[in-house]
Amino acid sequence: MSGITKRTLLALAASSALAFGTLAFAQDKEDIVIGGSIPLTGVFAFAGVAIEAGIQDYLKILNEQGGIDGRQVRLAYEDTGYQVDQSVAVFNKLTSQNENMHLYYGDSTAFSRTINPELIRRNAMIMAGASFASEINDPENFPYQFIAGPDYSEMFSILLEYIAKEKPGARIVTVNSDSEFGRDPIESTRARAAELGLEIVEEIITPPGAVDVSTEVLKLRRARPDYTLFHGYILAPLPEFMTQAKQLGLETKFMGTFWSMDSSIWADVGEVADGFMGVMPYRYYYDEEEAPMLDRIREMRPEYQATGYMQGFLTAMLMTEAAKRTLEAGNELTAENLKASLNTIEDFDTGGIIGVPISVPGNTVPVGRIYQYDAADKRMEPVSDWISLQE
Amino acid sequence: MRIATANETYLADEALLSTRTQWAWMGILALVLIAAPFVLNNYWLYLACLVAINVASATGLNILTGYTGLVSLGQGAFMAVGAYTVAWLEANVGTPFFVNLVAGGALAALVGVFVGIPSLRVKGLYLAIATIGASIILQFFFVNWSSVTGGSRGINVAPATFFGTQLTTYFQLYWLFVPIAALMVLGAANLFRTRVGRAFIAIRDRDISAEVLGIPLLRYKLLSFAISSFYAGVAGGMWAYFFRSVSPESFTIVESIFYLAAVIVGGMGSILGGVIGAAFMTLVPEILRFGVEIASSYVSNAATLLSPIRTVAFGGLIIAFLVLEPQGLAEIVQRIRRFFHLWPFKK
Repeated sequence: MSGITKRTLLALAASSALAFGTLAFAQDKEDIVIGGSIPLTGVFAFAGVAIEAGIQDYLKILNEQGGIDGRQVRLAYEDTGYQVDQSVAVFNKLTSQNENMHLYYGDSTAFSRTINPELIRRNAMIMAGASFASEINDPENFPYQFIAGPDYSEMFSILLEYIAKEKPGARIVTVNSDSEFGRDPIESTRARAAELGLEIVEEIITPPGAVDVSTEVLKLRRARPDYTLFHGYILAPLPEFMTQAKQLGLETKFMGTFWSMDSSIWADVGEVADGFMGVMPYRYYYDEEEAPMLDRIREMRPEYQATGYMQGFLTAMLMTEAAKRTLEAGNELTAENLKASLNTIEDFDTGGIIGVPISVPGNTVPVGRIYQYDAADKRMEPVSDWISLQE
Repeated sequence: MRIATANETYLADEALLSTRTQWAWMGILALVLIAAPFVLNNYWLYLACLVAINVASATGLNILTGYTGLVSLGQGAFMAVGAYTVAWLEANVGTPFFVNLVAGGALAALVGVFVGIPSLRVKGLYLAIATIGASIILQFFFVNWSSVTGGSRGINVAPATFFGTQLTTYFQLYWLFVPIAALMVLGAANLFRTRVGRAFIAIRDRDISAEVLGIPLLRYKLLSFAISSFYAGVAGGMWAYFFRSVSPESFTIVESIFYLAAVIVGGMGSILGGVIGAAFMTLVPEILRFGVEIASSYVSNAATLLSPIRTVAFGGLIIAFLVLEPQGLAEIVQRIRRFFHLWPFKK
């Protein structure tokens, strides 16, 4: 035991006891806890880390303003490695350790589905998460969950509306990965495109993790689409697609959905990424339009924050707003009351995180905007107004 | 070798538990298992259920890989067959959970026999790759046979019901999974007291000699695949009732590697090894969480900073045990036993 004397050990023990003591003190009964199964390792860690930062920052702002009804809000979270069994383990651990857990952040569609019966059974918390799966947008079967943005089908609807306006009767090819994530919006997109008078000329499904896309690009060449819509990917194999299409002289415009839209992932791709478009429900960190919340974020964090950050930030904002409205109405924080309060959110000002006032009529916030990547500036620039799917 | 344990009958010689001490330990284990759900909180109960499922599957793989010497990376796919069978029966037929679990096991066993056919020609790594091939084919069916499997989205599973009571809490599921897992482990232990089990071991040690001894390789290799897959199928069925949703992404090749790792870390060809290996692989990453938790009183933002270290530590522990205890974790238990056999007379 070189260097460590009994005294240092004692001091360590005492200080940890003290730390636990203060921790216990801080965990005053009045705290409201947001639980989180968040992927801090594994394939989705890049998003998890950003999401956690977003939630923490919003809570900091909220707590500085006095929290909810004088109660502080705290995030209790653990790493899941983006694996369902670990996500459920974390859920059980955190619910066993924290009494006042009424809000929860989940990390995947599979977790949302797996934990759903338990959420209904407990009737104690509402949950949102990193999944934008269309399946969750079903208040009947997922009564206590919501998505802080449009679901994947709605994202495609927003893209299609934009296309219909820009180029009526456009020819479209959809490229989806052969996974649950990738296949999510295919059917609804078919129907929506027909309604808008757009023609889907080819539906390409790529195997998960595919790198060689030359056969798919040949299909694209035969189809000669005006727009090519990707879904079910983060980055790969989009750059490869775009490079090969450019070499073949295809004039098509490439579009993507939320998880492909972070500008930092495109920064290393270079010139070929220029002109990539997609739907984004939130503002970017560097957006220059009037937005007090973005100013605040830039003040707290001088460096660029990814889109996952905004997602976490807005999710925390909507969750805590639901809790605030429930307590203001003098109701208990049950899942039923929280969800009802969430649905009362109408024309809500997010401080510029979303550019228009939002409502949560069901399980989603069906709003988004089309952004386009500018390779010279390494930024996403807005090319449309905010598009709301609400009637 | 323990002294003063001469047996007078073959029956006594073959007994699973031969000494009073062993009986006493088994009794204590049984008592602990019975008392556990009343003491543990929801989190530990969840983990106990998960360990039970993994023990069942790892024991199955141990029969195939540890005792028969046939390396398989198809355990995850066999579990998926069981899970899908249970999900489908629960949704479309509504038979009792017990029937569903057995049916899941039976169908997995049937699939296992087909997957096992190449084992007559190839061994070792070649067989492992052949089982990966079979997993890919099965995965293709799970994704594309949408009318039965629900395609890439999968199927939701209604909770198991027992005399009209829905088994939804971990407390209830514990009483379902732990006895089933215990029964399966007991079955596996007993298997190796029979002709069939000994035939498996003979094949593992030298298949040509086994054939010379009059063991039909075809029948016994396929039988080993069938039994092992049956275990996987039942474990997969329990998994389906546990997570209540089955999709093609639930059982990937990673799952198969997990079970093979559990068997190797625990101790191949040892029933205790399969059990300890499964428990180790399931519980250690969770126990390491507490390390992160303790550190969080010293480091701010510990979860974000230390979670990657947790993953590395888990990997490091696996390597450390493989290097320091190549016979598996079960060997540690054996060593402790040997120590006490001579205690206090050992120098």
